[in-house]
Amino acid sequence: MATTIKSTQLDFDFIKNKLKEKFKEQTEFQDYNFEASGLSNLLDVLALNSHFNGLTANFALNESFINTAQLRSSVVAHAETLGYIPTSYTSSQAKLKLSILITTTPRPTSVTLTRGAIFTASVDDVSYTFQTRQNFVASDDGTGSYEFKTGTGLSEIPVFEGTEKIKTFVVGEKSDSQIYVIPDVTMDTSTIRVRVFDTLTGTTFTTYTDIQDAVRVTNDSALYQIKEVPNGYYELIFGDGLSTGKAPVAGNKIVVDYLSTQGTVANGATTFTTNVALSVSGVNYPLTAVTTSTSAGGAFKESLESIRRNAPIAFSSQKRLVTAEDYRAQILANYGAYLDDVIAWGGHDNVPQIYGRVYAGLKFKSNIDTTTQEDVKNQIKNNLSENLSIMSIDLVFAEAITTKLVLTTFFNLDPDLTSSTSQSVENLVQSTINSFFATNLRKFNKVFRRSNLLTAIDALDVAILNSRMTVAMQREQAIDLNQSATYSITFPTTLAEPDDVNRVITSSLFTINSKSCSIRNALNSNKLEIVDQDGVIQIDNAGSYSQLQGIVTLVGFAPSAVQGTLLKVNALPANQGTIRPLRNYILDIDTGNSLSTAVIDNQNTLVTL
Amino acid sequence: MPSRAFSIEDGNLGNKSILTSRREEYSDIDLSFAKKGSGDIFKKSSGASVKQAVRNLLLTNFSEKPFLPRFGADLNSMLFRLSTDIDDDTLEDDIIKAIETFEPRARVLNIKSNISPDTNEVNITVTFQIINTSEEAFVDVSLTRLR
Repeated sequence: MATTIKSTQLDFDFIKNKLKEKFKEQTEFQDYNFEASGLSNLLDVLALNSHFNGLTANFALNESFINTAQLRSSVVAHAETLGYIPTSYTSSQAKLKLSILITTTPRPTSVTLTRGAIFTASVDDVSYTFQTRQNFVASDDGTGSYEFKTGTGLSEIPVFEGTEKIKTFVVGEKSDSQIYVIPDVTMDTSTIRVRVFDTLTGTTFTTYTDIQDAVRVTNDSALYQIKEVPNGYYELIFGDGLSTGKAPVAGNKIVVDYLSTQGTVANGATTFTTNVALSVSGVNYPLTAVTTSTSAGGAFKESLESIRRNAPIAFSSQKRLVTAEDYRAQILANYGAYLDDVIAWGGHDNVPQIYGRVYAGLKFKSNIDTTTQEDVKNQIKNNLSENLSIMSIDLVFAEAITTKLVLTTFFNLDPDLTSSTSQSVENLVQSTINSFFATNLRKFNKVFRRSNLLTAIDALDVAILNSRMTVAMQREQAIDLNQSATYSITFPTTLAEPDDVNRVITSSLFTINSKSCSIRNALNSNKLEIVDQDGVIQIDNAGSYSQLQGIVTLVGFAPSAVQGTLLKVNALPANQGTIRPLRNYILDIDTGNSLSTAVIDNQNTLVTL
Repeated sequence: MPSRAFSIEDGNLGNKSILTSRREEYSDIDLSFAKKGSGDIFKKSSGASVKQAVRNLLLTNFSEKPFLPRFGADLNSMLFRLSTDIDDDTLEDDIIKAIETFEPRARVLNIKSNISPDTNEVNITVTFQIINTSEEAFVDVSLTRLR
């Protein structure tokens, strides 16, 4: 029995030829091979029927698994069965300091900025609307200056990009089994507010909250669920009055408001203007906005690949923070708009081991400023770790440490096999190397495998006959100038053993004793020495390197200047074929120092060496 | 004079005739699907089988046969044409091209077409030779409005 089905076996021609082969085994009917014959017509029907059935079965089977499904509706449905709700469009969020100045007296002790205050900002010459989503209060500081604050006393007021939309539903009889549809594919479900009014005209309402945020659910909980449906719209579902909270009753009015957003494109807005003015004693005072955090975090709907990756992890984490993968899943699911990648590990895996801790390395997207980064870290601690983690486990953030690789590539090029110049092939090779890093590395847990890269280079052009590459690692270290200090520079892998030919450790230039010098290890030794550009040793014991731990230690290092802003320390790894970064290390390429060089090879085996 | 002997595997020409050609017997199912007394359907064989195939070909329109969109003579495409647009030569060329391309067992000898605009009718008679047997056969195709 065949264990695999090739999709080409479902082709019409393949099936028809198979049927013809079957007919060859009999002598009764001979005309199966003539397209105009009656038999051929019957074979057409049989083959077409099998073709469609096969394709339908193939498609249906593919759509049955989250890993192979192609339709968004299928992937979302599979994720739903795993308890994972894919994220909707997300509004870009900025933080502003908002204030008004009231010069007249008497002045009120406080003023309120009502929700929905509109701000405008531009990104790439396109204007976007931002707005507040709740009321903020400002108090007089004694001089007539009123600065608005959040409920927790912070003066950074969040504003969200998008247009507010309102949908009103009238609740019918229970037997109607109403589904409340919100036909808006760009809705940011995190901005939704659901109010259920007692009557159509009354003002008394109950605010329902997302069941995802519920800690305890009773038959009286006011909760809603929102989910994406196959056409990309959203449906609002209320409790059943039993296990999932109470349900609105006939005659109630449901008012839903939310932001319909543009997603990613509104990220990066720096200057916000507003026409909002607050009326005090009949005089309008303009609102002043100062940007504290540029807009960030806007995102489109979660992609299929992201859902495929996150749903199973979220299922295994069961909305709790126990294992390292739980932390990764929850942080990515809730703050993925700010992050490229997350890694987490327990304190027992850390160096040095510290029990009772979980470490999380965050790689922020490139446009996220440091204020927002700190804010996200605080939110992760306050909203996730403190609510979902095991007691007495502390979450500690570890900075993502980038180790750059310096790649020196040589490839044999037969100029007779290509119309390109060696220079253009060199450029092609170098750009392939750069895109290899963009595609396969620059994230946590991504391993550099030299042979994979060399295979890609060899496949670039038939004129490239073979290739080789030396790999060095590079770390950058900030130096306190003119201060004697000890520096410990850690590499993510073990380092090469010292030998009598190659220097395992080298560095960029710096000034010491008024001479331009660099660091290197002594031949056949772990000891580090500082040499000037003439090769004269200035300091013969500047520290050492630990081959097994991958640590370079500089002792009493006190340069007066450093080339560039940071000291670059290069080290040869023990295994240049595989660089496996541990924990919070990320591999990238040093594009400035990585070179690709063509070696002309005419494949002539008759010349002398 | 010595006689040459060959092994049985090599045909033993001494006592076995050499097969120089083989007659292909055409056999197809009868598309009327009429059944015999035994319950089997009737067969079309030899010339009748080719004749049925030619008729089939003429009555098939483009894109009717799966994954072979140019199969057929596409005579039905004349259905909504003005009678003045229908040209004998073009019609005959299309039929010859279809038979030459898709029915290698037949060689067209003659095509007679009779276009009657007054009765909204086209009658075509294709005379062809069955290549295998040199037998001549003809197929009449009449296209007329139903109501």
